[in-house]
Amino acid sequence: MTTETAPNVALPGGEMPGWSDRPDEGGNAPLAELVARLAPAGARVLLAGPPDPALLDVLGPARVTCLVRGYPDAAALAGRVTQVVVAGPQGLPAGEEYDLVIAAGGLDAVESVEGVRLGWHGVLSRLAAAVRPGGALLLRLDNPLGVHRLVAASGWYTGRDDAQWTVGGVLDATRPANLDQLRDRLTDVGLRVDVRYAAYPRPESTTVLLATDQLTRPGGCGLFDAALHHACTAGYADRFVLADPARLAVDALYAGRAADLAPSWLVYAHRPTADGAAADRPDRPDRWPVAVLPAGGPGGPVVAVVDTPQGWQWEPPRVPRSGPVPAPYASREVARRDPAAPDGPVPDGRLLRSLLLDGCLRRDTARLRRLLRGYADWLDAQADAGRVTGAVALAGVDNLVVAGDRVAVLDPSWRADDPFPVDVVLARALWRFAVELTTGGYAHPWTSTLDVAGLTVVLGGVAGRDFDRTVVDSAVRWEAVLAATTRGGAADPRADLTANPRAVTPTDPPPGPRGYQQLRDAWLRQREENTRLTALLSWTEELLTSREHALRRAEAKLDLLSGTLGYRAARLASSPARLARRGARAVKRRARTAMSRKDGAS
Amino acid sequence: MHHANHFYGHAHVLARYAGLGDGHPPRINGYVQHGWNIGDGLAPGHPYAAGTPSLLWSEQTRRRAWSVGRRNVTVIGAPFAYLLATRPEPPPTQPRAGTIWYPFHGWEGQHVSGDHKELIARIRDTEPGPVTVCLYWHEHRMRRVRRLYENAGFRIVCHGYRGHWWTGTDPDFLDRQLAELRRHTRVASNRLTSAVFYGIAAGCEPAVYGNPMVLAAEDPTFGGTARIRRQWPELHGEQLHLPTAVEIAREELGIDHRHPPAALRELLGWAAPRKETT
Repeated sequence: MTTETAPNVALPGGEMPGWSDRPDEGGNAPLAELVARLAPAGARVLLAGPPDPALLDVLGPARVTCLVRGYPDAAALAGRVTQVVVAGPQGLPAGEEYDLVIAAGGLDAVESVEGVRLGWHGVLSRLAAAVRPGGALLLRLDNPLGVHRLVAASGWYTGRDDAQWTVGGVLDATRPANLDQLRDRLTDVGLRVDVRYAAYPRPESTTVLLATDQLTRPGGCGLFDAALHHACTAGYADRFVLADPARLAVDALYAGRAADLAPSWLVYAHRPTADGAAADRPDRPDRWPVAVLPAGGPGGPVVAVVDTPQGWQWEPPRVPRSGPVPAPYASREVARRDPAAPDGPVPDGRLLRSLLLDGCLRRDTARLRRLLRGYADWLDAQADAGRVTGAVALAGVDNLVVAGDRVAVLDPSWRADDPFPVDVVLARALWRFAVELTTGGYAHPWTSTLDVAGLTVVLGGVAGRDFDRTVVDSAVRWEAVLAATTRGGAADPRADLTANPRAVTPTDPPPGPRGYQQLRDAWLRQREENTRLTALLSWTEELLTSREHALRRAEAKLDLLSGTLGYRAARLASSPARLARRGARAVKRRARTAMSRKDGAS
Repeated sequence: MHHANHFYGHAHVLARYAGLGDGHPPRINGYVQHGWNIGDGLAPGHPYAAGTPSLLWSEQTRRRAWSVGRRNVTVIGAPFAYLLATRPEPPPTQPRAGTIWYPFHGWEGQHVSGDHKELIARIRDTEPGPVTVCLYWHEHRMRRVRRLYENAGFRIVCHGYRGHWWTGTDPDFLDRQLAELRRHTRVASNRLTSAVFYGIAAGCEPAVYGNPMVLAAEDPTFGGTARIRRQWPELHGEQLHLPTAVEIAREELGIDHRHPPAALRELLGWAAPRKETT
């Protein structure tokens, strides 16, 4: 190591010379969007723990101090921020206070291996002391019972990584294990909680933030349903898990427990001033977004949703959109991202995907008919000469919400410029749903003998439309092109599906996370199919034997009858007719030969 | 093709609806429920391959079939529902009149014992107009039974032979039955059977009364006539509440579960039909 330091790097003691906490995953874009609303220009900000590159980008105008434990991280930060302190929390300058203290990686990553251990509560006390009256702390806490732990293939207690020189156990009374305990700990250090967010899909990778007070609303909502489904499907893509985290998260949402099962929480708490005034706080509770999430699916630019007297509204992002917007196309593409979307009101209602899955599980075909006919009729109403365009053409059942009889596109970020036939649009949405229904192993009202295309046709029938496989074929071809376009730079959990959509069979495991439960269910489906085919083969063999006996009996009867006097007399009587027919056929054959010779000669 | 799929020309009706024409229907990938019943939709005693789809008439039957261990059960609605879709009621050439009466029948391997004379007296006392009695084909061939009804002044008809082991199926059985039903104001029987539901769906007022007769060696597995009377009391009597009857018939025949032709082709395994030469 070197003892030379950059001018704004302080080494008060307790640094880890060769250690780096630099995250190897993309930055926490939702947190950056949130912080952009909190830290006005010139604010004094302390970033405690691993510095998130996305945060540094939005804190440009602020006076930022970074507290890191690893020297290499400090060297990388030098020059980008006002000051870097390389140490454990004890190294913070005494008496220095900040407008905003951010511990976005949690408190474990703040403490150094060097010096006396403070423990979780000790670190909190030190950071809380650095919050000026009227200032605030933004803190992440990982949930010991979060979705990530419930689906983890390995036990949390088996940690052997370099960073796990100690593993926090359940008996660590100083470490809060739920939101109520966290509130109490913050109160103990003189802070008051203003807002709490559930962060999904994994503690080390947050792509959506959802306000916990909204998550407990009865019945859930389409926006949160879609956000959790997409975040968990993409966030665990190709990872081996015990069960589908997206299913678990959405189930938790409808049970009012999505906050309790969040992989981590983000809490904003302020230190009251002596007189209790909050006038100089940059935030006001009514300005807190109810959600911060990527628009247009995983990997898209992050946007916020705010609650207004007119209902929930998409709000333009504070952070300039730097997501993987596809390059401008030289020619017209099958789909493009609308830079102005989403904007305006967020349509309320439940996600059509969840409603359909629920209808399938309950075998409520009447409800399925109402839903799918409502969707198909809505498409018809949007069509011009039987074709639809724009966001309507691209929205699948995981991006449509239904409230009563009203259907609406939830997030209109992606648009199609070219119009597409209504049947093809419908077939694409239903094909995608059929893939999810069958590969996901969901119970449904139809037979297992249907392949995905067949089930799509049946679903079309439930929607009151009579299209066949040729329409499904067109839809699948279109889907393959669309998937490649809309994916942008994001990891595609359905990559193996979109590479060869026609190859998907109902006995395949679902695309996305490699869940033990889903793999086992797929194996069981294959076994059931083999059992069915074996039984059918055996039954068919028996039937064939029986029919062969019947055939032999019939042949024997024919042989017997053909030897009778009556048969011979009848055959003799019909001889002239048979000879005449034979002669006519010969004449016709000769005439045809002569004609073809003549054609060949000419 | 399971031979029961051919009964009453069901496979022919479905093939016509599915757009496959009037020829011999392709093999169905599953078992089509061939009559209204209070069991799992399949006829007891028939050999079935486990796991092969059961294509049932109603959601209630599907639930019942599932509960007794059947899997791969799905509701497509009764073939008669598809016939109704392909044969909309034409403008009447003459007004409907009288009652078509279906004395309960078993199939040709069963024998019904009961007092036909007593039943005839009951019909005479009850029915206000002319009566057509529809006999099952093997009763129709029994001169003694036929004479009883003829002598009572009733018109006697037979819709045809349902077929057995792939032979003798009358492809127009249901067409003939529908045409007869549409000539009558009322449909009646001494047991709640498919014909009563067909009649209601074809626009007749239903009635179920009289001695239900006893079927020799009747299978008591599903509870028999007593259970039918307990479960559908609204459909037993000489005068019934028509809207209720229409609603029940709609559910039991699965009218709302009728699929469009392309979807039906998929469900029956006819999306890429093999050519049959028989």
